[in-house]
Amino acid sequence: MTDEDVKRWQTILEVGPAASVQDIKNSYLRLRRLYGGGSIVLEPLEDEFPEKRRMKILVDLEEAYTRLLEMYRSRASMDRTAGQAADAIAAGEGPDAAGPGTPYPIEEMVYSGPALQRARERQNIDLVEISKLLKLRTELLKALEEERYEMLPEEIYLKTHLKNIAACLRLKPAKVVEDYLGRFREWKRTR
Amino acid sequence: MSNPAQPVKEGEIWAVGGGKGGTGKSFFTSSSGTQLAKKGRRVVLVDMDIGGANLHSFFGISRPQKSLTSFFEAGTKLSDLAVATDLPNMSLITGDIHSISSDAIKFGQKLRLFRQIMKLNVQNVVIDLGAGSHANTLDTFLIADKMIVVLVPEVIAIENMYHFVKNTLFRKVKSTLKDYGFKEIVQHIWDRRQSYGIKNLKDLVDYLKASFSYIGTILDSELANFKIHLVVNMARSNQDILLGASIKSVLTKFLGVTVLYSGYVEYNDVVWKAVRERKPFMLNYTATGCARQVETIVDNIMHGREVNVPGGYS
Repeated sequence: MTDEDVKRWQTILEVGPAASVQDIKNSYLRLRRLYGGGSIVLEPLEDEFPEKRRMKILVDLEEAYTRLLEMYRSRASMDRTAGQAADAIAAGEGPDAAGPGTPYPIEEMVYSGPALQRARERQNIDLVEISKLLKLRTELLKALEEERYEMLPEEIYLKTHLKNIAACLRLKPAKVVEDYLGRFREWKRTR
Repeated sequence: MSNPAQPVKEGEIWAVGGGKGGTGKSFFTSSSGTQLAKKGRRVVLVDMDIGGANLHSFFGISRPQKSLTSFFEAGTKLSDLAVATDLPNMSLITGDIHSISSDAIKFGQKLRLFRQIMKLNVQNVVIDLGAGSHANTLDTFLIADKMIVVLVPEVIAIENMYHFVKNTLFRKVKSTLKDYGFKEIVQHIWDRRQSYGIKNLKDLVDYLKASFSYIGTILDSELANFKIHLVVNMARSNQDILLGASIKSVLTKFLGVTVLYSGYVEYNDVVWKAVRERKPFMLNYTATGCARQVETIVDNIMHGREVNVPGGYS
């Protein structure tokens, strides 16, 4: 990774060189929402701003966000005490940000509803934030975390929601879907 | 977020436009002018909102006897036109023009007007452009040192603003290349843009640069000065405030122009009250959040800086 890469990612994410992890996250979420479609800022230009270009922006955003956070993490893990690790997690660096010796689990064993909630809270992400981003009701997200299965939609929809939620929380979508749906099916079978 | 401060130029023209009516262009012209005057600068405000001139109302001044009409039609001296305001170092030239339509004032006449204003030993001219994207309006916008766009957070205003900025940029590109004998070519390519695979103005500029290498240098240097200072007015939420950052993002990606998000003014009934009472806002409501926000915006525009947007996302 060169300084130019870093500068390019910062430009893509529209943040300055002094941006904190939280600034980067805010900007990333805002831009993802903006170029994800349906924004009043982009709507008037729809004819002139082709879908392909919008998608390219989204792909670039993902890359810049992932790589920039990776950089912050590797920097942080080099000279970090346990106290700093906790601060970093509180600042939203993510569950696997703390490096070795962290008091927080790096990866949940099974992605149950409460495990998803923990992963979300560790990253300081509000339910409302996810709700806005994915255009899902907060009640639904809450039911999902609390495993109130009767409130949840059909499996086919649920699967899509889980994938998107996993992406928001930077977890492995396949594992989240597999774990959660496993529990969901079990409940359905015994009902 | 903020750029290194740029030195403030003497004798600067600020032009306030943005396409849609009712976004607060006159409010911002009057408030920013007052703020500049409060900072000790010698200011003249010019109301170019032909047909809808109302800048004088923001200062509690009755419709003046002499307006720009006399300048254009009867050759009245500019120093005789300027109306005094509550501040000794700020005067106002009103555009209450009944007899002529906006088309009737030739751009050359306007240029003569601004040159004469500058001769009055003025440090800042702030022009209220009024609504619309008429060619004459765009040309006036383009001669300004600071091109300011005022917007409210609603879809029609955003749409009109894009139209306004796009047209301004297209005019700028055409007039830049006109001197090099390229004016017809630019229009020709634009008219047949579909067959060239050109979707928008940025594509057009990129195409021109790629096809005629020396045009690239010309356009780069000319467009480097094309800077829009964006002001979001009547913001009611964090989301509205962040809208400015999103518009900056889209305009940069979509038109390839430099946009500086100068700041926002929150919605407050007090502004409406001030207008109704015919009291200059920046002199009578100094303690309000709105007044402080105008101060910030004026500082940011003067020094080419940007506002710090709060956390969250729109």
